[in-house]
Amino acid sequence: MAKTIVYSTETCPWCHVAKDFLKDNNIEFEAKDVAKDDAARAELIQKSGQLGVPVLDIDGTIIVGFDKPAIKKALDL
Amino acid sequence: MYDLIIIGGGVAAFAAAIYAGRLQLKTLLVGEKVGGTIMLTDEIANYPGFKKITGMELFLRIKEHAQDYDIEVLEERAESIERQTGLVRNSTDVPEPADRRNSNGAVGFEVVTKDERLKTKTVIIATGTHLRKLNVPGEAEFANRGVHYCALCDGALYKNRVIGVVGGSDSAATEALLLSEYAEKVFIIYRKEKIRAEPVTAQRVDRNKKIEIINNTNVIEMKGDKFLHSVILDKPYKGSNELKLDALFIQVGQIPLSDLAAAAGVATNEKKEIIINRDCETNIPGIFACGDVVDGRFKQAITGVAQAVTAAHSAYEYVAGL
Repeated sequence: MAKTIVYSTETCPWCHVAKDFLKDNNIEFEAKDVAKDDAARAELIQKSGQLGVPVLDIDGTIIVGFDKPAIKKALDL
Repeated sequence: MYDLIIIGGGVAAFAAAIYAGRLQLKTLLVGEKVGGTIMLTDEIANYPGFKKITGMELFLRIKEHAQDYDIEVLEERAESIERQTGLVRNSTDVPEPADRRNSNGAVGFEVVTKDERLKTKTVIIATGTHLRKLNVPGEAEFANRGVHYCALCDGALYKNRVIGVVGGSDSAATEALLLSEYAEKVFIIYRKEKIRAEPVTAQRVDRNKKIEIINNTNVIEMKGDKFLHSVILDKPYKGSNELKLDALFIQVGQIPLSDLAAAAGVATNEKKEIIINRDCETNIPGIFACGDVVDGRFKQAITGVAQAVTAAHSAYEYVAGL
């Protein structure tokens, strides 16, 4: 299974939608709260060059925003 | 063939689906991104039955309610609406009203997606709006690099920082209040004398010690390196036209997503809003519209939902009359 990381904040609605989408498709993922975790915030900037959330890292493929077609493609759904 | 295709994915679209389901119309909802702009609202306190609810929660409840009925949902972009030719009427005994025929004498529409041509007797357009941009130098360059459009999504990233909000509407004031929970300081930068927030919101802004309003002022440029560092104002603030900011949230209104409707011949006004009557009919018989995309003066979830119910009922009566 692909290694999936979701960079998010607690309040961000599209972050919740993204996580729910992964759960609905039985995709295991690691969630990192970039508002609480400075290291995760730095990682988000290093990987995506920006600060908008959600960002998904799916086996190195970086997806900014809840872009369902891109997520499905990266996960081969 | 569907009785009704609803185009849109927000609260108005799903509210129309609830009522279409109740009226047992064979209904398909086509929405590219299910959720809509209400997802970006932190707190809704004017929807009857809920003293306080988040935009996302309200949307999910309405969506769940709609899906209790026998409706279909297709998460695709509707690319066009075309008037159909040669459809067979429900009954050959009853003459069709002349105004329900198109120029070829037929009734109905095709909603075109990238893969399908979906036939329907009626259409409800509930495509909503997208957020207006400020259109000044630096805005695109620093998008998500200090320039943002959703405090609920990205505000928490700016704890103890200095943030600006551009705009003077109730939405702008609400964004500033939310951001003040994280930020050290929030400036509301507004081009006019007095912000247009609802009294209850304006009062909360007045009492908030972290918020300062810079009025009669425009942001004309955004500057930085990798990330935003400052904005340029068209008037000096405390002796300088440059205001140092860690982030700028833009709330300068919304633009109706009506191009699809306009391309189908649906009449719009100078603001690109779809013109409807009180039954939510457009100028094209069989096409109805509701929600933020229409020409209402007061746009709230509750007004959009009320229009959606009216539009669904009008579609029902239209189908019954075919």
